[in-house]
Amino acid sequence: MPNQNGSVYGLTILSPILDDEKASPSHDLQIRLYLSTLPTGANSPFAKSPGTHLCRLVVMDDVVYVGAPSIEEHLQSKYLVFECNLDATGEEGLEAYLRGLAEHMPDHLDAIWSHCVGYPGAADVQAFIRYMKACQVETTFFFAAVNNKSVTESLRALQTQRAVADFIASSQGMEASRLQAKFVEFAAKLKAEPLPKPGSMGPKRDIKLGGRNE
Amino acid sequence: MSKLNETDIQGFVLRGYNLLFARYFFLHFEEPARARRLIEQLLPSITTGQRWDSGKPQSTVNIGFTHRGLSAFELPPATMISFPVEFQQGMRARASILGDTGRNAPEHWEHIWRGDRVHAWLGVNGITPAALDARSAALRNLIDETRGAVVLDSQDAAGQIVDGRPTAKEHFGYTDGFGNPDYLGVERSTQPGQGKLMPDGSWAPLATGELLLGYADEAGELPVAPIPHILASNGTFMAYRKLHQNLATFRNYLEEKSRLYGGGKEKLAAKFIGRWRDGTPLELSPDAENPDIVKDPDRSTNFTYGADAEGTRCPIGAHTRRVHPRDAFGFNGKLIDRRRITRRGLPYGSFAGEDEQVSDSDDRGVVFMALNASLSRQFEFVQQQWIEYGNDAHQGNDKDMLMGNHGGSGKFVVQGDRSANNPPFICAHLPNFVELRGGDYFFLPSITALEMIAMKLVDPR
Repeated sequence: MPNQNGSVYGLTILSPILDDEKASPSHDLQIRLYLSTLPTGANSPFAKSPGTHLCRLVVMDDVVYVGAPSIEEHLQSKYLVFECNLDATGEEGLEAYLRGLAEHMPDHLDAIWSHCVGYPGAADVQAFIRYMKACQVETTFFFAAVNNKSVTESLRALQTQRAVADFIASSQGMEASRLQAKFVEFAAKLKAEPLPKPGSMGPKRDIKLGGRNE
Repeated sequence: MSKLNETDIQGFVLRGYNLLFARYFFLHFEEPARARRLIEQLLPSITTGQRWDSGKPQSTVNIGFTHRGLSAFELPPATMISFPVEFQQGMRARASILGDTGRNAPEHWEHIWRGDRVHAWLGVNGITPAALDARSAALRNLIDETRGAVVLDSQDAAGQIVDGRPTAKEHFGYTDGFGNPDYLGVERSTQPGQGKLMPDGSWAPLATGELLLGYADEAGELPVAPIPHILASNGTFMAYRKLHQNLATFRNYLEEKSRLYGGGKEKLAAKFIGRWRDGTPLELSPDAENPDIVKDPDRSTNFTYGADAEGTRCPIGAHTRRVHPRDAFGFNGKLIDRRRITRRGLPYGSFAGEDEQVSDSDDRGVVFMALNASLSRQFEFVQQQWIEYGNDAHQGNDKDMLMGNHGGSGKFVVQGDRSANNPPFICAHLPNFVELRGGDYFFLPSITALEMIAMKLVDPR
């Protein structure tokens, strides 16, 4: 099944954007404006909803004509594109994920998707799930940042890697019995550590992101 | 493809001169007509890429301009706005993209690089200090006579001489200068490992357009270049970076960590960069230096990382493996062919023997100059993604051990195996071994383009 890669699901949703020439600013610009204010990283509403590995929202205006020999073509509508890697297996898993979105970030969903044709609102969860699935297109190939590991497993792995590296750095060369005692203590402490928040393990870089090189 | 017209290309672009004494003048042009006259009179002195059949010259001269510098010649606006954006902006404006922040941020740069007055880099190399001085004096006279420019500053650099013989050592003690790529059409004594990796495991020259404007690059496209074509063709871009080396910090760190490392101090130093300090690649000789390999052009750069995916010979985050990953990212090395740069450069400041007292405040480092057709696609990518980040190398957020802007919190993992003299090891709390003191982006035009600039003939129509 192309939407599925191990336990990770690649979701692609194309929602037609309302075409209302009386709307000012236009619906697509209202979506763009709202998206530009959404936080990223650990504060993203998608990070706060369970099961999101990564996601991206794009407003697609039209097919851009790039000159001969290509053919000039146009979309019938503007679309909101939602691409997401999430933890789910099969249709039931997808529905559970969408239900999670509706429960954790209904206001954001409504602010974004209310500019799309036929959007029923997130309050009616069943209608919301039906709508999103009606807009779904098959994901034939997707970027697998993580293969077959859940968000929780990935976060735990990153936390462990970081902690173990720090432990080694501070205890290299230690006498064996002391090292063992220290390791037992370290392992117990690590096990008791709460899971880091999704989106919180990225690089702490004072570097400009999103440039041509990213 | 046909042979390049080497007499139209600045020699500095095509080959490392191996003339160990250098002085880089930084010029400011005050008046367009006088500046043009200076270039016109300088032209016969500019060293081209023509082969030195009758032996090395006593000295060489080359020139490059910042975007502001080109404006000073009154080039047409349509030409000026056609340069790639990163070149128009200059290196200081790119600081956040390059990770030149914290101690490397522009506010800590030398005075000359904090302002906007640098218009040109005039690079002089000499075979001896006397030859360098003589040529420098002649150039100074020319500048004074024409009143074509103001010399804002100059930077001396020189290779280390040991027992009367030149070395390629830099201040940390590593032998430098192995990895420059080969390009199609550039006559040079080539050696395997310096071009691009082919599916059959052999090495071939990179497309000319990875170095020179006006030729097809590795994507079969022409690099982004200013108009008219004749202004750009046979020219290239240069990133000039003055990199201060904190030698005391480096030596203390290596000394302190090697006490805990089972492989010993020299092996740990080799793990940092992927070569022993004499230049032997760890990949070919993981346990000891081997001068026979260093001297053998068929072997000194001829290796891949495919059989060392775990990094037990050469650590995955070692400097040379990061900046020239060869096949390390898979796909037969295809992912890196558009990210190669040609490095020129020399150390500056006095060399200190291992037993000499040193201080971080001693004025020493390396003048790093990278040549490439696209600053953003090549130099800036390498700096941002491979030096200041570790994702491509599967090293997470780790930065390059030696070059990274760590600010005291960096980490470097030395992968190892079960043997006592090659254990895994972690270097943490990395300080900044290298600090940026300034620099800028320069355009090094062809000889034809220099003539057109001097004659006010640049016409984008």
